[in-house]
Amino acid sequence: MNVTGVGAVFARGRGIGSLEEALRKGWVAPSRRPLASSPGKSIPVYSVEEKTITDKAVLKKMRRADRFSKMAVLAAWDAVKDSGIEIDEGGASLGIILATAFGPQVTAFRFLDEIIDHGDASVSPTLFSHSVHNAAASYVASALGNHGPTLTVTQFGLSFHQALILARAWIHEGRCEHVLVGSVEECGTVMEYICSRKLGISEDGRIRPFEFSPSPSAVPGEGSVFLLLSGEDRGQKYCELRGVFLDDESAEGDPDLRILDADGMSEDETCYQEIASQDVPIGGYLPLAGSMLTGSAFHCAVAAVMLRNQTLYACPVQDNPHAVRACNSTEQKNLERIQCVRYGCLHERAVIELGR
Amino acid sequence: MKAANVVITGVGAISAAGADLAETLATFQKGRPRAGAVSLFETSLTYPVFEVKNIRRKGRDDEMRSIRLALCAVEEALMDAGLRSGLSLFKVGVCLGTTVASQLNDMDFYRAYRSEKTASMRSVDRYLKGNLAEAVGRAIEIRGPSLTVVNACSSGADAIGVALSWLRDGVCDVAIAGGADELNIVPLCGFGALGILSDSICAPFDRDRKGLNLGEGAGVLVLESEEMARKRGKPSLLHLSGYGSAADAFHLTAPIPDGSGLEAALKKAMSEAGIHAGDVCFVNAHGTATPDNDRIEGSVFRRIFGDEIKFLSSKGFTGHTLGAAGGLEAAFTAAALREGWIPASAGFAQEDDEIQLSPVRETTAISGRFAVSTSLAFGGNNAAIVMSRGALDASGAQNRSGV
Repeated sequence: MNVTGVGAVFARGRGIGSLEEALRKGWVAPSRRPLASSPGKSIPVYSVEEKTITDKAVLKKMRRADRFSKMAVLAAWDAVKDSGIEIDEGGASLGIILATAFGPQVTAFRFLDEIIDHGDASVSPTLFSHSVHNAAASYVASALGNHGPTLTVTQFGLSFHQALILARAWIHEGRCEHVLVGSVEECGTVMEYICSRKLGISEDGRIRPFEFSPSPSAVPGEGSVFLLLSGEDRGQKYCELRGVFLDDESAEGDPDLRILDADGMSEDETCYQEIASQDVPIGGYLPLAGSMLTGSAFHCAVAAVMLRNQTLYACPVQDNPHAVRACNSTEQKNLERIQCVRYGCLHERAVIELGR
Repeated sequence: MKAANVVITGVGAISAAGADLAETLATFQKGRPRAGAVSLFETSLTYPVFEVKNIRRKGRDDEMRSIRLALCAVEEALMDAGLRSGLSLFKVGVCLGTTVASQLNDMDFYRAYRSEKTASMRSVDRYLKGNLAEAVGRAIEIRGPSLTVVNACSSGADAIGVALSWLRDGVCDVAIAGGADELNIVPLCGFGALGILSDSICAPFDRDRKGLNLGEGAGVLVLESEEMARKRGKPSLLHLSGYGSAADAFHLTAPIPDGSGLEAALKKAMSEAGIHAGDVCFVNAHGTATPDNDRIEGSVFRRIFGDEIKFLSSKGFTGHTLGAAGGLEAAFTAAALREGWIPASAGFAQEDDEIQLSPVRETTAISGRFAVSTSLAFGGNNAAIVMSRGALDASGAQNRSGV
């Protein structure tokens, strides 16, 4: 199973070029948004700028689409173009699986506004149709003119991992030749409020992946990442998807790098310390994109770029109170295997292994 | 890859038509739809709906209604499969479709947030504990994958397709798959705004159909490889033989007029099952009773299966249960293959000249081996499932012509 294309829309821009530039330049402070619930207070958020999701050519048939759908379409489009693979337009060789934790909740809350403000019988049908989770994947299929299976899945724990497992199954059983697997999350004012109530927020805007805190701090983020997975090696690949290991399963041997998804979105991140204390370099790059329950997709994109470029990028936030073996400098390195590690809601471990 | 033959060893269903499968089949024979005004929440809308009046399972206070519905169907299906206990011996996956249970549609929370700029986190906690597949997986203590499919009205059918892929790829030994959805004010208002709700009892495929009625419920199958079922002493003659899915890539809310997406999904599902259209003895249609859906679905059936195909929509008994629909209709299809009959397509009276095909008007015996269930959804998703009844021959292929 090969990763043949990558697309990303995140706080630092759009496309692989923006991702590589962010990895080279390192941490940049997030923007701050006023908290409607607390006058005078604000919350740090890695938000995607409007100019990043403005593309008249790709989005020409999406005049009514919301930000959630636009982020997904642009990341998915870029992943396909990045691969250089000509997708059989009108055919069914491409499957699409979109994973999200919260779906288009900004639009969903706008629809609730309609019900409250205008009454049950006077709401916008357009807002309703965009408030359903699968609107974004539908737009992706339309933008690509693709008629293959198109699926949206949601979980708070490991939805991107499950999407990868399913993509692999689809290719194995010959359902598709390629599968676009991605994630998308959007951060709006209600979600910012919920984050401020439910999570510790890092007031200085820094996510600290190596703190392994029992009460970690997050910086809410948003964006979309898509990987194009192909059954065959087309010679343009970033890397292989070697496996997705859940719970009691484990990959054999040590990788060259472990990337930790610790981003402040869980109640307790002490579980990461066990895996970080082993004799393997560790990284954490969500300080570039923000905290997201589907942040594993961003880390997979980072790992794919590292394997293609044979470059180990310095971690953007290097606070290291436990003196673990964190990557503190960017260097050319022979990278064969990278594992992305996440602990789910019930502290169940999930590992995505990518290899050269 | 050598695909495992997947059998259906358990079926569970709850809807307005019945609190379990036996009660549902009795309702199907009586032929009486049970729709009425909304009682679950306040609304100014007067469209009839199909509410579930008898949820036998007692839920926790903080448990979403969709989860209670799902657990009713899951427990029935596990009982049917002989798996009410001993699940821990196997790697069991849960894949369920939904729409409502994926969203924070809590009006009290949102009203409080809007007016006071602060709100209790109780609703948020309930939502965060309420991811359908995760919650069901926790409740029945599985060790295996869980995944919630949110593909609008084809979610339940797509979830069954995911489970089929899981089993073929060895992701789990047993899969619990289907869909569950509760009646909620958001889709009621949304479908009302789209102008596709009927102010009378829905009439799928009828010339004078005026739209759909919303419903709620859950439908679940227990799936496993034939070898696994045989090993644990629960052989089954019901097979999940094929699944097809295709995107219209056309419009967010309207199906592509030529029905090419549905046709592609049907052909894929039949191809996987290794059968031809002539092998199909009946189709459980999506049949929402909206003018567009039924016209397109009916014309595709006529094109693929010909004028003599027996088909029905069960939405005249259950309403449109959204994310549960594909699961419920798969459960009904499996039950029909087991029982050897299909119910009348409730609500149908007169053929539509634009469709030129009529669903069955009365309880009808079926004698063939293969059946199809179709689902169409917002976003242009189309899904089709092929089920079969009968033993496989020594090579693993299914005898198409007869027992």
